[in-house]
Amino acid sequence: MTEFGRLGMLGLAFYLFGLVALAFVARRARASDSPADHFLAGRELGVFVLFLTLYATAYSGNSLLGYPGEAYRRGFSWIMATGFMLSIIVTFHALVPRLRPIAVRHRFVTPGDWVRYRFRGEPGGRVLLFGVSMLMAIALANFLFAQLKAMGELSAEVTGGVVSYQMGIALLAAMILFYETLGGMRAVAWTDAAQGILMMVGLAALAAWLLDEARGLDALSQQILAARPEIGRVPDTVERTNWLSSILLLGLASTVYPQAIQRIYAARDGRALKRSFAWMSFMPLTTTLVVTLIGLAAIPRFADLGEVAADRVMPLLLGQWASIGPVYAGAAVLVFLGALAAIMSTADSCLLSLGSSLAEDLFGRPRDAASTTAFAKRAAGAVMIGMAVVAMAARDVTLWGLIELKMELLIQCVPAFLLAIRWRGFRATPAWIGLAVGSAVVIAGAIAGVKRIEGLHLGIIGLACNLAIACLGSLLLGSVGVRAPGDGASR
Amino acid sequence: MTRGGSARALRGFLLALVGVLFVLSIPWYRRGGDPAELWLGLPDWVTVALLCYAGAALLNALAWLLTEIPDDDPPEASQ
Repeated sequence: MTEFGRLGMLGLAFYLFGLVALAFVARRARASDSPADHFLAGRELGVFVLFLTLYATAYSGNSLLGYPGEAYRRGFSWIMATGFMLSIIVTFHALVPRLRPIAVRHRFVTPGDWVRYRFRGEPGGRVLLFGVSMLMAIALANFLFAQLKAMGELSAEVTGGVVSYQMGIALLAAMILFYETLGGMRAVAWTDAAQGILMMVGLAALAAWLLDEARGLDALSQQILAARPEIGRVPDTVERTNWLSSILLLGLASTVYPQAIQRIYAARDGRALKRSFAWMSFMPLTTTLVVTLIGLAAIPRFADLGEVAADRVMPLLLGQWASIGPVYAGAAVLVFLGALAAIMSTADSCLLSLGSSLAEDLFGRPRDAASTTAFAKRAAGAVMIGMAVVAMAARDVTLWGLIELKMELLIQCVPAFLLAIRWRGFRATPAWIGLAVGSAVVIAGAIAGVKRIEGLHLGIIGLACNLAIACLGSLLLGSVGVRAPGDGASR
Repeated sequence: MTRGGSARALRGFLLALVGVLFVLSIPWYRRGGDPAELWLGLPDWVTVALLCYAGAALLNALAWLLTEIPDDDPPEASQ
């Protein structure tokens, strides 16, 4: 085994031990076994932990492995990733200030609680809740799959194959299940905080090494352009349209990430929330930009990596870095742990959110019962095991491909949140028909192997159809005098 | 205008500027396929995008600090 492999194994063991200890502390800190305590940490997350948990959840295996891979494939135009990650924090302005006070007053736990509350008693309200919850569950399961794949890749690469891809998935999935089941959101948020710090330090160290090796950004760009001159040219119209489409897709779809919505509910107060989002505004510059540079720096180092193998540029760079000497190997292990931390923190958040959504929104378990928490843990465990088996079998899928599909489905839920929270005349029946049509466009495209039309994502085209149906239908129902239940004199 | 009202107006203005920066970040102003000069260590259109995003991040952070997020829902806002 190499020096890097030995240090990697040792670092991994220490890291996992630390997570177990933190889970036990979180378990002791719980106030009750209620869903609000388990899934929202008793709604007591302050600025520091809230910011770090938002950060660690937003920047996942997709960011740490998928984005460098995509930067390697597409070149400088992947600077768009910094833009679309920032657009997420901008779009939250449309949701957070209105959703938060309603969520506090009505003690929401899941994203479905909003849909249930907003469309209560309306014909079509239950169908809409089912549609939104199904899309969110599919998106979360997809997200979980991507994290498990990234965990397997990273652990196999860093331990020099001692921990195989399959073993890495099994070991780390079991660890997540353990601390999430034991400590709930409190354990997830605390481990996220530790993982967020590790990720920031690790990425900064790797970027500094790459720039130092290349003798500055200017020299690095010249090396990249010498290897692939075409990627320095101004993007064509299709690529620019795709840039805009990606900003819209990620910016809108990420706003309805179930795990992000639950963090809005879990904040201690509005002040903690707004400060956390203010800090989050800068994270695309310290994280997405850095991983983009890492992917670009891999271009002159590794020629002709295949489509799927490009997702491995980060571990390959770590291996090169570690081979210089023991100090560098130690630093590479730090980056490895940071990347692993980012992936695990996203997976645990997905799992927690998935469990609560399955229990309450799809299986209709009562919101305040301890039995709901137990049911949600079992449901999440079953999904985790299922996704781990799928990830072990399906290794040849690109991470960015998974992100796009997830976002294209999730974006169809946007009208039920962003529009419904501002427009009282928005109705459940046209909303679910729009959601179904938008999803059908995406699914038909996926089956036909069409991802984009002239650079425009099918999810955006589906959303346009979805919005047209939902808005015109709501206006039509309003004009013929069909009123939603409880929609009376105030309108 | 009240203090709350002017904070809301300023927040709206900042968010509009963020929107403008997002549009400017995409190199619509150049012809596709044109070669790029290095500027501040990156192809010029990449540097422009990056500066737009840095500006947008700063303005967006200020907009968040100006945002009022009440901790309870006034009864009339309830559906």
